Amino acid sequence: MKKQNATKFLFLAPFMISLLLFWVIPLFTGLGISFTDWDFISPEMSFVGLENYVDIFTDPDFSKAVWNTIVFSLGTIIPSIVLGLCFALVLQKKFTGSSTYQMLTFSPWITPAVAVSLVWSWIFEPSRGYANHLLEFLGLPPLEWLHSSETAMLGIIIFTVWKSIGWTMIFYMGALERVPKSIYEAATLDGCNSISKFFHITLPMISPTTYFLAVVNIISAIQVFDQIEVMTQGGPGGSTSTLLYLYYERAFQNFQMGAASAVAMVILFITLVLSIIGARMAKQHVHYE
Amino acid sequence: MEALKKASVHLSKHVLLAVSALFFSFPFIWMILGIFKTNKEIWQQPYKLLPYNFDFYRVIESIANLSFGRYILNSLFVGIVGSFLMILAAALFSYVIVFMKGKYTKWLFVLVLTTYMLPGAVTYVPSFVILARMGLLDTLAGLMLSNLASVFAVFYLRQSFLKMSYEYFEAALIDGASHLSILRHVVFPLNKSAFYTLFILTLVQQYNNYMWPSIILRSNENFLVSQALRQFFIQGGAYGRNWSEIMLASTIVIVPLIIVFAIGQKRLITGIAQDSGIK
Repeated sequence: MKKQNATKFLFLAPFMISLLLFWVIPLFTGLGISFTDWDFISPEMSFVGLENYVDIFTDPDFSKAVWNTIVFSLGTIIPSIVLGLCFALVLQKKFTGSSTYQMLTFSPWITPAVAVSLVWSWIFEPSRGYANHLLEFLGLPPLEWLHSSETAMLGIIIFTVWKSIGWTMIFYMGALERVPKSIYEAATLDGCNSISKFFHITLPMISPTTYFLAVVNIISAIQVFDQIEVMTQGGPGGSTSTLLYLYYERAFQNFQMGAASAVAMVILFITLVLSIIGARMAKQHVHYE
Repeated sequence: MEALKKASVHLSKHVLLAVSALFFSFPFIWMILGIFKTNKEIWQQPYKLLPYNFDFYRVIESIANLSFGRYILNSLFVGIVGSFLMILAAALFSYVIVFMKGKYTKWLFVLVLTTYMLPGAVTYVPSFVILARMGLLDTLAGLMLSNLASVFAVFYLRQSFLKMSYEYFEAALIDGASHLSILRHVVFPLNKSAFYTLFILTLVQQYNNYMWPSIILRSNENFLVSQALRQFFIQGGAYGRNWSEIMLASTIVIVPLIIVFAIGQKRLITGIAQDSGIK
């Protein structure tokens, strides 16, 4: 028995040590730092109470970042999930070329965000890029894309949806495959058409996957960084600065560790609230076998 | 009439797919064509999609001048070794919470579940300080150590282990096998496809990783590909930007991944679709 405990300990140790050192302890120290004015360089710091929180809540940059995070999250999650499901429905039945389409849809996901952001920066260039060339071809007026505070976020969203559709599609393909054929057959006998089959069978049966994808996509939307850093650096005029980007600027460019940690705690709080709401909604609407 | 309707559905499906295929692959086509364009071509009006000529000699010469080899090796090293260690730690941990259940193992999994719901980036400031105290800032070892605990990997492996028949495990235990050898010779072979999928996924993630490595890695020789690309992109300033060379650098960074993807594509796609069975 003693030997078994030793084995258990040794098996758990590598993962647990790393989890404690780089997840659990940082979470609590982060909370602590958020009440100080630490600047990273000087050895001393003083307790400032809630000052950092008061500062960020009265800072217009902060409320702008909250708004940008919401716009980015909704603007990327909804199209990725809807389009990912559409592609999964179309590509679910095997036909000539279906695996090529599958691979093309998935390939943006595996390539480094930084590398493809560079390519898209060029596509979005107002005078030399292809996006405006395409608009001109369609008879539409050209846009300033990443150079204007009105369209920069749109550019980032188009890029992100392009990159993530393949990932959601693959999860949905697995989910669609797991829906038992017998249910569809029974529904056909009862005279259901394909639209009502989709809404009454397919959607409820794949709802666990939808829930999972919503949770995973929210967390990654909140953490978006690479494409913003490469394409706009939060600009122009803060129009693409999300909460995480604000956190990054405060911490690693201005070395205001206290203020940055306060932003981190707000991000954490929002995620917690969303998870709780999500879990509640899942209980009501997600159909588990 | 019925046949005509079917044919038109079929046709519209393929037209739709062809258009979307173009949408997904266009940036890659644009990137490859961009390599062969000279600065003069990039500025010309009216715009041309195709370059004047495909001067392979010039491109090969530029590849030699870029010297991205070092960064690709760094990224591959972190991708392969880092993923191996990450999966090893996750496999050992998942083994205990699935096969050696006890009072505390349930709570350990709850802890893992909770961290899975949290954005990891909020821990970057204190993690940075901890790495600095350990003297591991600006080292690839520090990067791999701080990425060792992958909550996703535990999630994924646990799901796969749970589907395994418990009898194999018990039979091996009765035969007197040690837990390490059960993991190696029973659990691993039975969950091979999950391990395989997970390895490719983490390799891709580690290879591409940008934010955290760019915070902790400072010296040029330690850069991963994404960080090196970004530096290369900004060094010319917004106006002196040499798009042709930037496209070339992006391409050579992507090539190793395309190779990994081409080898593992089929199993990767079915692996994510099936093993991730969300319950």
